[in-house]
Amino acid sequence: MASDIISLKDVTFNYKGSNRRALDGISLNVKQGECVAILGPTGAGKSTLACVINGTVPRFMDGNLAGEVTVDGLVPAKVGTAQMASRVGLVFGDPDTQLFGMTVEEDVAFGPANLGLDYESIMERVDKSIADMRLAGLERRAPHRLSGGQKQATAIAGVYAMLPKIMVLDEPTSMLDPEGKARVFGIVRMLKEQLGVTVVLIEQEVDDIFGLADQVFVMRSGKFVLHGVPREVFGRVEELRQAGVRVPQIVEFGTLIGAAETPFSIEEAVSAVGRARDAGPGPSPSPTSAPTPTSTSTNEAAAQTAARATACLREACRIAQADPVVEAVDVEFTYPSGARALDGVNLAIDRGDLVAIVGQNGAGKTTLTRHFNGLLRPSSGDIRVLGRSAQGVHTIELCRHVGYVFQNPDEQLFCTSVQEELRFGPTNIGADPGATSQRVEEILADIGLTKYREVWPKYLTKGERQRLALASVVAMDPDVLIVDEPTTGLDWVESLQILDYLERLRSEHRKTIVIITHDMNIVSLYARRVVVMAGGRVVGDGTPREIFSQPDLMELACLRRPPIADLSQALWGEVLLTPADAAAKLLASRPTNSGVCSK
Amino acid sequence: MIVEYESKSSAVHRLDPRVKFAWMLAAIVISVMWTHPVYLILLGLTVVGFGLLAGFPWSKIRGVLSFMIIVTAIITLVQGATYVPKTVTLDEPARVLFHLIPGWIPGVGPACSIKVGGFLYGIGMALKVVTVLVVVAIFGYTTSPSEIVQIIARVPFIPYQVGFVMSTAWKFVPVVQMQMRTLMDAHRSKGVDFEQGTFAEKIKKTSGIVLPLFANSLSMADTMALAMESRAFGSSRKFTFIRPYQMDRFDWVVLIGSLGAMVACIALLAVFKLGAL
Repeated sequence: MASDIISLKDVTFNYKGSNRRALDGISLNVKQGECVAILGPTGAGKSTLACVINGTVPRFMDGNLAGEVTVDGLVPAKVGTAQMASRVGLVFGDPDTQLFGMTVEEDVAFGPANLGLDYESIMERVDKSIADMRLAGLERRAPHRLSGGQKQATAIAGVYAMLPKIMVLDEPTSMLDPEGKARVFGIVRMLKEQLGVTVVLIEQEVDDIFGLADQVFVMRSGKFVLHGVPREVFGRVEELRQAGVRVPQIVEFGTLIGAAETPFSIEEAVSAVGRARDAGPGPSPSPTSAPTPTSTSTNEAAAQTAARATACLREACRIAQADPVVEAVDVEFTYPSGARALDGVNLAIDRGDLVAIVGQNGAGKTTLTRHFNGLLRPSSGDIRVLGRSAQGVHTIELCRHVGYVFQNPDEQLFCTSVQEELRFGPTNIGADPGATSQRVEEILADIGLTKYREVWPKYLTKGERQRLALASVVAMDPDVLIVDEPTTGLDWVESLQILDYLERLRSEHRKTIVIITHDMNIVSLYARRVVVMAGGRVVGDGTPREIFSQPDLMELACLRRPPIADLSQALWGEVLLTPADAAAKLLASRPTNSGVCSK
Repeated sequence: MIVEYESKSSAVHRLDPRVKFAWMLAAIVISVMWTHPVYLILLGLTVVGFGLLAGFPWSKIRGVLSFMIIVTAIITLVQGATYVPKTVTLDEPARVLFHLIPGWIPGVGPACSIKVGGFLYGIGMALKVVTVLVVVAIFGYTTSPSEIVQIIARVPFIPYQVGFVMSTAWKFVPVVQMQMRTLMDAHRSKGVDFEQGTFAEKIKKTSGIVLPLFANSLSMADTMALAMESRAFGSSRKFTFIRPYQMDRFDWVVLIGSLGAMVACIALLAVFKLGAL
């Protein structure tokens, strides 16, 4: 029986100057070679816990730490940096802030070099790390020239080269595209299964954790609210929801169809469906399942799906009559460095639509959308806004019609209060002060920040700052809203809040919404149209179901469809987008207790 | 740096960083000591040859050079008009070469006489400035920040952390520049026109970028510091460089050539006044 390599007993921590407990009575035991996943909403205390394990809390970040912490037989707060760094490796979400070398090789060598090892030992470790993390051939490449996944692999290699027994990965995939995420999860699997490293994985990607983790802990407000093996934790659907964690799609589907045993994989779900069919008419609707915040049962889900389909049809007819609000006509763009980013893009986006632009990092998504409000001008071709060419029209004029929300909220919040932030844009474009005041009040209520009106935006949480950044552009009342990666770094509940707000703007105010995203769950739930980009071109365009039904296209753009799409394809040969849709399909395929019949 | 470092495998890039530093030092010392334009042109040609060997992107300093040529032309004319140096090579340094205001302009010409001594001295000054600029640019283009850390770290009594912090700060510059561009784009997207308005208004608009830029940079620096701490930065007095110094024959040739040339130039200047105007 392996011994505990990490042991925390009743640990509490307050950051200096704060009364709130970032950690509140945390107890955790991890055995050598285990992979432990820690889930929870932002602000739950996950990163603080990671820093307690490697000793940077309280050595580097001041505060009051109480309780017992033992890591590999040492008390992290009492030993030196070098001792802990060679036992516990810590990897963060943003690879750009943790790469220090001019080349991959130099960066990987940074940690061992800090330990003062001799040259031969360092190079031995560097070569092994580079080989193990599948970075061979990139040794002399400058880190800033790597893809997101390669950068994160380099950051992991840099930590791994210090030969730690424990690796703590703090949301390592949060800023990566689907290909990068797959690479990092592959590395985590290898660390655990082949290299015997103990892994503490802090993540939001619940669908990927199931097969990886031996134990799952769910945190909320500095406490563990759920703990157990994955089957145990992910089976407690309602408690997961209450903790603000997304329920894995297959589990949600199992709950919706009232499966006797909760499925955790596509194979298990297929078997569960088979058993449900064999069991006779009518699956028992689960009273606690809720694929969306409002539906509570399979029948309701089916009714909602039907209603949504009707609404979609009605909406589609309405859109069909509308003029495109933004268009790209044969647009090509080359950066001054000579990098060709757009290669003959033709795209028209209709009023009132919600379009998701997807594709790998570097596919040209951001470059294209920055043309729509004049931040970039095409090298050739034309951009049309509201039917008129944008050529020669100043960004100041275009921004009245096309609002642009940047990926990082901190790069677009400039004022010293929330209220000022909302007034900033309208004032610049000369909006009527009276109307602006009224609008600001409405928006504050809409985004739930009324009580923070006088607060400096820096003091808000990441999710609140993201909502504020979005609202500060909405305040200018543009026809089109372009939102670049609206959910990066947010938890599931915060992501839904952002997307719900965008959907309200679309449906109630007839705004046109364009989102750039890597999150296929968001695409499934909200997008009405998906534009796929690769190599500076539009390579796919259609509804989410149409796009997810084209495996070749998904592969070309390095996209990964949600598990429910794989399951529905396996069950019925057609792609469905949400667990509710799949459950409704199953229900509609035969008579049920409540009398809902298939058509 | 005037030109950013580029990882290449040219003969100059492959040189030991200490040798490149010695070359830069020698070129700067010689250019400072010599005053005769002909000698400085010869030095300049050597520097250009070194740049060609490094595959230096001359187009990247075109803008700086154009600016410097204008500045140095002014220096040359001002020196020519106002200064007569004591020279060892010119018989009549005060001889008038030409007038800035020619004699055919009635009433005012001829005026503003440019003397031979001052004019040549001015040209020498201009050549010195351009040579130093190009030398530093070639050094920056061929020497990575981590190599510079190695040079600094080997200076006695300076801990390697100092060199590392300097090189990190250097690498941080393009990140901050990129963030500044994004902040300006975000401002433009919210209707701020940086080109319009009085000078005071432009200053006010630009100052709107400073606070978020400062706050974001601090936050990024904080995360970087945490990441460095987690990789044992500063935990040992010793830091092992992964590119140990291994001087090959070409390194020795350049090192001896550079330092030898510097010593020879100083000696020849002191004894025979070679290189002096």
